[in-house]
Amino acid sequence: MRSVLTRWLGAGLAAALAVITLVLAVTGRIGLYINPDGAWFAIGMAVVVLVGTALSFVLPLGAEDDHGHDHGEVHHDDHAHHAHERRVSPGALAAVAGGVLASGVVVTMLALPPASLSAELAASRDVGAPPLFAGSDVVSLASTGDTSKFGVGDWAAVFATATNPDAFEGDAVTLTGFVSGDTDGGFDLSRLVITHCVIDAQPARLAISADAAPPSTGQWVTVSGTVRATGSGQLAIVAEQVTPIDEPSDPYEY
Amino acid sequence: MALSLGLALIVVMAAIYIFAPQLLPADVPTRLQDGVTLALSVLIESLPFVALGVVLSILVQVWLPAGVLERWMPRRAWARRAVLSLLGMIVPVCECGNVPFARGLLMRGFSVSETMTFLIAAPIVNPIVIITTHQAFGFSDGILIARLVGGYAVANLIGWLYSRHPSPDALLTDRFRATCEVVVHERGGRGRRSLAQFLVELRAVMPALVIGSALAGAVQVLVPRNALLAIGSNPVLSIVAMMALAIVVSICSNIDAFFALSFASTFTPGSLVAFLVTGPLVDVKMIALLRTTFSTRALVGIVTTVLLFAFALGAVVNLLA
Repeated sequence: MRSVLTRWLGAGLAAALAVITLVLAVTGRIGLYINPDGAWFAIGMAVVVLVGTALSFVLPLGAEDDHGHDHGEVHHDDHAHHAHERRVSPGALAAVAGGVLASGVVVTMLALPPASLSAELAASRDVGAPPLFAGSDVVSLASTGDTSKFGVGDWAAVFATATNPDAFEGDAVTLTGFVSGDTDGGFDLSRLVITHCVIDAQPARLAISADAAPPSTGQWVTVSGTVRATGSGQLAIVAEQVTPIDEPSDPYEY
Repeated sequence: MALSLGLALIVVMAAIYIFAPQLLPADVPTRLQDGVTLALSVLIESLPFVALGVVLSILVQVWLPAGVLERWMPRRAWARRAVLSLLGMIVPVCECGNVPFARGLLMRGFSVSETMTFLIAAPIVNPIVIITTHQAFGFSDGILIARLVGGYAVANLIGWLYSRHPSPDALLTDRFRATCEVVVHERGGRGRRSLAQFLVELRAVMPALVIGSALAGAVQVLVPRNALLAIGSNPVLSIVAMMALAIVVSICSNIDAFFALSFASTFTPGSLVAFLVTGPLVDVKMIALLRTTFSTRALVGIVTTVLLFAFALGAVVNLLA
């Protein structure tokens, strides 16, 4: 029993996570958790973990901590002693509790469907600092012309750092994101931007001015409109059309 | 026969992951769901590095002939530590993978203080971290230099402190010492020993990794970020706040520079350096991983030293910048 548990807490937990990784990759949803650009490494090593786990079944149960037994009585006694100590010490209790907790977490992960982060979490992460995800590359790219592939994150970086706002005046944009609050004469459009994995997700936010009543907070929308420099030299997006949509299958920008 | 049992188990897990959500009620509280999503993303991100660390640990322990590594090492203790703290430049593991790899070094006979030096230097002094930190900050405010020199210095400081410890074995957990004994005396072919090491290392690291990631996810949905960031421009409090943030968010050192960059407009440069030095070494996920090998006392010592050092470094950068 003990050796089965040992295997579960090591290779078992690792294999469960490797299975999750591979299922997500095969069904095209790995982007919900990590940047798809780096997924090849996660996928490759998940295969290694699964191959190792499958092969380890060849090793008899308990083989990995039994080797000392052939080395004479001294070692044997030593081990028995250790095992006995472990069973009663507070450290042993902690180890059991840790094992139960870790198993619970992984089983929960197996049982719950893949999900994206909620709009509430995005809002709680928004600390007002302008996002500068890729350094200054985006801004220099933007001033050289092609902004058709720009997302909310790119534009937020441009808006925060552009030194010559006029260069963007009149650019047509079509952006997808969720509504993160009302403003005077419009609303804020947000999207979470990921560098590596969801834990580093940072909200990017753009001010949208629109005539119609703003959609409710958390609603996903597609906005088409034009970039305008306001009187104070700030950039804003004037919406021509705001269409409510379902949450897209790729809710993040990378 | 045994092999097909293993494969069957993997298929069963895949089936559970694919079909269980359809059988269970879908109403999960938002916060719980967010916490699970965050924790799972950390796990998916770090599992490949842990697996790589385990593979390297097997290489070092089982396949590398005796004496190959040792021949290249200087004799003097401080010089050995200085070299080991640069090992991260050529060993392609990030902070999570370092732990199993370092355990392999210990089992191979490197001393506790030498291994600590490697373990603390490698997450910062490695090529990927240097490239990404440079991409994020360039050479502005000396942040990149302070991070690299700081990481290298604190690792050698801790290595030196613990090399003076009278009984280095006391710095390790009982459990790890027992594992060492078993591994060192192990017999059988290399394939068999590799598999055994694979099981032993995963058993040691996985529960800690899962719990550390779950903690990181939970803290992120429970502690409001605004509470930490209200104090960004104060030269002293900003350092404390960014260090607290580093411990909480548990972002991989490969990319934490981009994360820190988004605070550059509101926070002092010193606080960013403190963030970049603290995070890779003692965030909640890393502490859980280190606990697999080092005793609580040793861990308290390491964490305290890193925090004091990072604070002092941040303060110096703020004074100079």
